[in-house]
Amino acid sequence: MNRIDRRNILKGGAGAALLATVGAVLPGEAAAQSQPQRGGTLVCAQLSANRRSAGPNNHRHPYFIVDANTKPIWSTPTWVNPQLGVELEIASKLEPADETLAVWDMTLREGVMFHDMTEMTAADATASFEYHRQNAPFARQITKVEQTGKYGVRFTLESGNAEFPYVLAEYNSPIMKAGPLETIGLDGIGTGPYRIVQSDPNRLMVLERFDGYWRKGFPYLDRIEIHNREGQQESALNGLRSGQFDAVLNIDARAAVQLANDPAFDIESSKGGYSFVIQLPKHPGSPWLDKRVRQAFAYAIDREAIVRIAYGGKYGWVSNDSHLMVTDPVFVPRPGGRDVAKAKQLLAEAGYPNGINLGALYWSPQLPEAGRYFQVLQQTVRDAGFTLTLDERPNDGYIQFRTGDNDFAKANFHKFAMTAVGSRNPGISLFRMRGAFVESGHWRGPEHDKYLALYNDAMVTADALKRKAIYAEMQAILHEEVPAILAAGGDTFLVKRKHIRNMPYHPQIWSIRFEEIWRA
Amino acid sequence: MILFLRRLSRRPLTMLGLALVGGHLAVAALAPWITPYDPLRLLEAPLEPPTATFWLGTDELGRDFFSRLLLGGQISIVAAACAGLIAAFGGGLLGLATAFYRGAFDDAVSRIVEMKLSIPAILLVSLFVTGFGQSLGVLILVMGLIYMMGVIRTSRALGMTLMEQGYVKAAKLRGETATAIILREMLPNIADLLTVEFALRTSSALLLVSALSFLGLGISPPTPDWGLMIQSGLQSIRSEPWLILAPALCVSTLVIGINFATEGVADLLGLEAARGATGQ
Amino acid sequence: MLIAIARRLALSLVTLFMLAVFVFVATEIMPGDALDVSLSADEIAMIPPERLAQMKRDLGLDRPAHERLGAFLGGVVQLDFGRTLMSKTPVTTIVGYPYRNSLILAAAVLLVAIPFALAIGIAAAVWRGRPIDNIVSTVAVIGYSIPEFVIGTVLVMLFAVTWPIFPATITASTRDPALTLLAASPLAVATVVIGSVAYLARLVRTGMIEALASDFVERLRLTGIPEWRIVFRHALPAAIIPSLTAMALYAAALVSGIVVVELVFAYPGLGQELVRAVTRREVHVVQAIALGSAAIVVALNLLADLAILALDPRTRRA
Repeated sequence: MNRIDRRNILKGGAGAALLATVGAVLPGEAAAQSQPQRGGTLVCAQLSANRRSAGPNNHRHPYFIVDANTKPIWSTPTWVNPQLGVELEIASKLEPADETLAVWDMTLREGVMFHDMTEMTAADATASFEYHRQNAPFARQITKVEQTGKYGVRFTLESGNAEFPYVLAEYNSPIMKAGPLETIGLDGIGTGPYRIVQSDPNRLMVLERFDGYWRKGFPYLDRIEIHNREGQQESALNGLRSGQFDAVLNIDARAAVQLANDPAFDIESSKGGYSFVIQLPKHPGSPWLDKRVRQAFAYAIDREAIVRIAYGGKYGWVSNDSHLMVTDPVFVPRPGGRDVAKAKQLLAEAGYPNGINLGALYWSPQLPEAGRYFQVLQQTVRDAGFTLTLDERPNDGYIQFRTGDNDFAKANFHKFAMTAVGSRNPGISLFRMRGAFVESGHWRGPEHDKYLALYNDAMVTADALKRKAIYAEMQAILHEEVPAILAAGGDTFLVKRKHIRNMPYHPQIWSIRFEEIWRA
Repeated sequence: MILFLRRLSRRPLTMLGLALVGGHLAVAALAPWITPYDPLRLLEAPLEPPTATFWLGTDELGRDFFSRLLLGGQISIVAAACAGLIAAFGGGLLGLATAFYRGAFDDAVSRIVEMKLSIPAILLVSLFVTGFGQSLGVLILVMGLIYMMGVIRTSRALGMTLMEQGYVKAAKLRGETATAIILREMLPNIADLLTVEFALRTSSALLLVSALSFLGLGISPPTPDWGLMIQSGLQSIRSEPWLILAPALCVSTLVIGINFATEGVADLLGLEAARGATGQ
Repeated sequence: MLIAIARRLALSLVTLFMLAVFVFVATEIMPGDALDVSLSADEIAMIPPERLAQMKRDLGLDRPAHERLGAFLGGVVQLDFGRTLMSKTPVTTIVGYPYRNSLILAAAVLLVAIPFALAIGIAAAVWRGRPIDNIVSTVAVIGYSIPEFVIGTVLVMLFAVTWPIFPATITASTRDPALTLLAASPLAVATVVIGSVAYLARLVRTGMIEALASDFVERLRLTGIPEWRIVFRHALPAAIIPSLTAMALYAAALVSGIVVVELVFAYPGLGQELVRAVTRREVHVVQAIALGSAAIVVALNLLADLAILALDPRTRRA
């Protein structure tokens, strides 16, 4: 294990001279606080719905598995720690080739074995990222990925990106066993601590320990069963109370408060875990084309009420219409609070003096509090003259549903719909508002171009303070332009039985280290 | 009539049924005037226990639960009754028509009835509702069509016996048109049956609407609706059990009331229609 | 006799054919194009128009509706419902196990419910007008007036959470053997049974009352045969005949109830698959589920008809 390289992982610097040090805790050290026991099974239910709808052919492919379940099976080049710092994982070295920050060289750890006991090499990494760059939104910035040696890989990016190491920690960045583009990943073979022994599409996944795992001494548990209970928190909690489940991931604040009084359970929480984005489709004829309507909507929402009602007050926070979490140091609060009078005035200026009917806002119970969240929102914008109905869609296939169709001629647009947003580093978070991405509602115009120019600028700016200033400028554009609405967010929780140990929550659910969990 | 009422008064269950239905209808009709608060307003902290100001406490969003409960039946009752009306009226006419015309028309309708009866109601409704969006109109229409099938069966059977009656034969001999015979001679004779069918189909439709709302395919929030209230009440079944018990009790008492009342009245009218009509 | 059976069979086939046409038309008129929901916006943005047109051709979306109907019907005959739009897997692969699982659940419900219904229905008929009859009738009405999801929730709260005797939610896998599934689902079965027994018992009671009041039973009574013998040997078969048709019709309602209960308990059956497929516009899967569950009802109707033919000599001349 190369300690120096791990410590020296880039956090936005250009070249070795600019390397910033991250308070890296080695995974092995974190677990050493108590005497872990080996063996046993963890049966857990998870409520997150972040995946594509799986069928019998692709249900072992990482893209079709819920984000939280990918980490035990596959490893990614880097890992994001609970403080949102990035660390090396199965890359032993990762650095920019030059000051443009557009070319990155990665060296893979040697001797990492796949579940079929073949060694992972650069061939697997290049094949994997060839797939990711064509299929994962954040990896699209990779224009070329090539093998530079048995363990060496070179990434060429569209433009410089100081925060590129974070992209390699995404749940859509696992290293799969090399194969042709059409079939890569379908075998479900990874280098993670657990291998898939049974997979029931959309329902159940059974994992067993992989003895050849590259982190020596891990994992502790012999077996993990993960049951999908997307949108069915009560069913999952009943299973927990009746002893069927040892843990439930992603419960909401209300359930967490109730369960906290029960001596049988532990609640683990993480500040600033999720928020929701409402995409405002800006196709021809849409009222959202008018900036004033978007601004009015932003002023009309009672964000404090959402925090109070959907998150029980102290477990939530007011968001600022960007994808940033409140815990992020670069987060800038939205200036001015709720202003119904101003919202009404803006609406009148936009030609809707008597209010406007927005039709259906589509939502899906991706997280348990979603229903309450959007009902409060619906209710509070009424005061400013916005009428909308709530149309619930099931989680399965929701991603495909809400993204709709980019071709306006086909009249099946992306929807006026919400989706959950997880916590990321600022680069990835702010990149999500680019016009080409459906969450921005295909935002266009000079302000958008300015936003993207600032983003590109930030990505090649080495100085963290200067970058923060650029990020603030970008957020100011969002506050004025309101390409999308992110009203409020909340903490995330998991509940577990007392005998399950070392299962802390992580602001990025897909970065939980299952190999360090043990059973007393 | 007095005799009928006297016989009715000797049937406690029927009286109970009538009282339940009457009570529910009265509440649903008067609800806009008797609800203490706006059912959509976010008034207080969520999940407050019952107090003197909020008789049943507040719901998970801090809305007055009592007001929502009073209003929670309105839409499903109207939707179910419309569906029941379509079913009873449409089914009655179609059933009589098949009995009148017989032959190929009868065969075709009977096939369609059998076919439609074979598709589980919830499947059919969820199919259409998801295809066309959550519109109350589509919901009512599809439910009406589904329940019409059973009514066609019973009214056709009754129509067959009516065709043998002297007055229908006489009307035929007088050369009256088919429409006139069906509407003027036959329809009044199955009015009793259709009333009973209407009530029973309405009660089935009520259960279906609440099931659909529960699944997220029926009435959309924030409209106060019992099915939706049951669904969100699930979350607090341990801490605030009244949030699920009260709406569940409301749906059940209304459906029970309709069934008791219809059964008793049908019995008194000498109709066997009450038997086995709730299946679909 | 043979002609009568052949006629019933032919009628069932006609019904099935019409069902297939109906299901095709119903899904056809749903708004939206199947391809639109199977690709994301970002993906479509990257696909050149010629490629999109090619994909439509591959899915057969460019052909006129009547041609597709023909192809659909041809496939149904061979139990081939095509492939899913998204993952290109044969629909039968996706629907197969859930279909089996729902059948298992339905069979378990009927196996438990019918004996109960018979016992209760007979008792209510024999002691007609007595307290037991009144109680049965009243409880029956209450039983089918309470929504299944309420019954299910109450059972879970009582027998899984308060007294953890049975599992609260079903963790069995889709491909588990039947017994494993059933062992995991006692509360799901009980929920549907509670709703069904009430209804079925009323059917039995009505049939039984008619049978007990019939002339031939009166004649048997005069011959001095013991009453219990009359009830079980003579009246019961006669009572079952009229109940059978009604019971077969009830099958459709049973399937409806099972769909809801499957979702409450996370049972790996058609209910879950249906909601998933409908909202993803997986047209072929919806078609297969609709036809498959309707086929069960048609088959039960056919069985009931055949049973009546066998039991009741008068109908053989049809």
